Amino acid sequence: MKNKKIKISANLINENRSYLFLALILIIGLFVDNFYTMYNISAATGNGSLVIWLGLGFTVCMIAGHMDLTIMYMSTFAALLCLGLHGDQGLPWAVCILIATLAGVLVGCINGFLVTKLKIHSFIATLGMQFVLKGSMYIYTGGEELSIGKDYAFSDVLNDTPVGFLPFSTYFLITTLVVFIVMIVLRYTRFGRNVYMIGGNLETAWLAGIKSDGVTTMAFVISSAACALGGALNGIYSGTAGITMGEKGISPLMIALTATIIGGTAINGGKGSVIWTWVSLVAIALLKAIFKKTEIQVLVIAAILIGCIVYETIALYNRNKTVGTRPNLHKEALKELGKSH
Amino acid sequence: MSEQINKNPNTNTPKVDTRKTEINKFSLIFNKLGIYVVVVALIIIGLIVSKGTFFAASNIQSILEAVALIGMVSSGLIFITYSGNMTDMSIPLTMAVGGMMAVQTINFGFPVAILIGILSGALIGLVNGFMIGKFRANPIIWTWGFNLLLSGIVRVIWEGKQLYADKVAKDTEFAQNAANTFFSIARTYIGKYISLMAIVMIVMMVIAWFIHSKTKFGQKLKLIGTNYEVAKFSGINCTKTLVTAYIINGVCASIGGIFFAALRKTASYENGTGYDFSCLTAVLLGGCLLNGGKGSVVGTFGGVLAYGILNNILSWIGLGTYEKYLVQGLVFLFIVWLNTYSNRKLGRA
Repeated sequence: MKNKKIKISANLINENRSYLFLALILIIGLFVDNFYTMYNISAATGNGSLVIWLGLGFTVCMIAGHMDLTIMYMSTFAALLCLGLHGDQGLPWAVCILIATLAGVLVGCINGFLVTKLKIHSFIATLGMQFVLKGSMYIYTGGEELSIGKDYAFSDVLNDTPVGFLPFSTYFLITTLVVFIVMIVLRYTRFGRNVYMIGGNLETAWLAGIKSDGVTTMAFVISSAACALGGALNGIYSGTAGITMGEKGISPLMIALTATIIGGTAINGGKGSVIWTWVSLVAIALLKAIFKKTEIQVLVIAAILIGCIVYETIALYNRNKTVGTRPNLHKEALKELGKSH
Repeated sequence: MSEQINKNPNTNTPKVDTRKTEINKFSLIFNKLGIYVVVVALIIIGLIVSKGTFFAASNIQSILEAVALIGMVSSGLIFITYSGNMTDMSIPLTMAVGGMMAVQTINFGFPVAILIGILSGALIGLVNGFMIGKFRANPIIWTWGFNLLLSGIVRVIWEGKQLYADKVAKDTEFAQNAANTFFSIARTYIGKYISLMAIVMIVMMVIAWFIHSKTKFGQKLKLIGTNYEVAKFSGINCTKTLVTAYIINGVCASIGGIFFAALRKTASYENGTGYDFSCLTAVLLGGCLLNGGKGSVVGTFGGVLAYGILNNILSWIGLGTYEKYLVQGLVFLFIVWLNTYSNRKLGRA
């Protein structure tokens, strides 16, 4: 009886590890000076919002069984495009953001084409696309940093905390809203279920009549478009956009990957949730506010990531050991033997 | 009419098999000659672009020097790709750690420092190989995460500083001499134009070719790369073989890292950034199959050469570093597509 209880709790911990991570960070925050202040939390979550967009994209692709490495340069490219169009052509913000998002849709379509039609492994295809984006980004800006100039009106709106008692900026609230919309789409629509199915087993999904190519391409489009939108908003939020936007000692792509895995999304696809990634990314954003030193941040994040990977790998290894055997029957037989004795 | 024929199996009309059995000629040529066609084509383009000065000794020297580091690391990475584990994302930090350990222990003399640098690379390879070979961790995710962990550890230990061999070395003559030797290994020329780095690269390639094609280990690795389950059930010790492959990779990467540190005169955690991508490009250019089980060291050497010559030509045209990224990305995508396509046409993927 005692044994059973421990098993359930271990499973529970594993399922809810993103929430536990957030709780842990919040508890540690109690012992840090000036952690629970309005300004600190709104700044931490606002600065962490860019990575939330990246994590959103990465998680959707990973649920579909693919990896999207273009997300980081996609968001930077969109930010540069948005600020550049506003500064040079004088277009209104809405049009700039729309164009940047459309660029994201285009890159998503190219990624999907490379993966589904040319049958290149998604990791390799997006690795190549990453460099194409990097090159075109440098050509567009000449390596310079763009800023929004003196047009602070929209930037101030994004930086504001619209709901009085909540310490969250508008940018973070928009991010959260989009994450919840994507979660609802993935969980309650036919398209969303199809994404989970092609992630679980591509061939079975195809045999079941799902247009797997279309769904895969759609997953890449969602990922790239979300990153482009987030990147454009981040450019306006922070006022500047450079080639290394959001890169403070640790690549945002790495944080997105870390959060996706800590959240519990399966590495091979078919299982996971955008909300888990969101929770663990908020936790990482707050963690950055606790540990001020970049070196310590990297070490802590990496240690948690490695812990999760090792746990999952060994769990899978132990599960694979029992393939072909029937542990349930064995246990039942042992039980009956025990009773009869 | 057709239904009647189907009902009567004894009719004389023979069934014609309309499936295609002939193999696309282009695919066959590309698959066999592979990268060296590309190399020759690139050399011809280079001759046109550089107006005949392509074969000047200084240009050959600069190409060889530029590809020396990539060649060293690629000669190890080929074993990973060949064994069906795609790529090793921890190459940047393996290089960085190799260089940093060598610089940090320069006080014990030059040979000991090099040995410790190589051993640290082998240790990283051992950990990678144990997790991937024994517990079947996802090779990309694991090596990527391990790269981040190593970067965290290295940055905490050395507080994100850069190490200079002449500053780390004590004031004794012995240590200073070791530091000077360390700096000079990347700047030694044998004869007039052939640098030591290029020779080390070629020697490593020859050793890798020998291990890859002439030993039992290479044959085992081929079977593992083609089909892991079959290899396991035919009695191959997969764990041991994969661990060996990862150790070879770690050693090669750390040798590359030591030369990198000697060339730049500094060792820091950022030393190997970008080498994971460029080495993978070279290996894939050499005709190695991403799913494993196909590829050769000779082809990889061609891939390394092609990568170097391509960069050289882009410089001749007058493209900057940033425009090169775009062209490299496009070439990478095209080559990978060609690789996948020709293998699919041959029914090998």
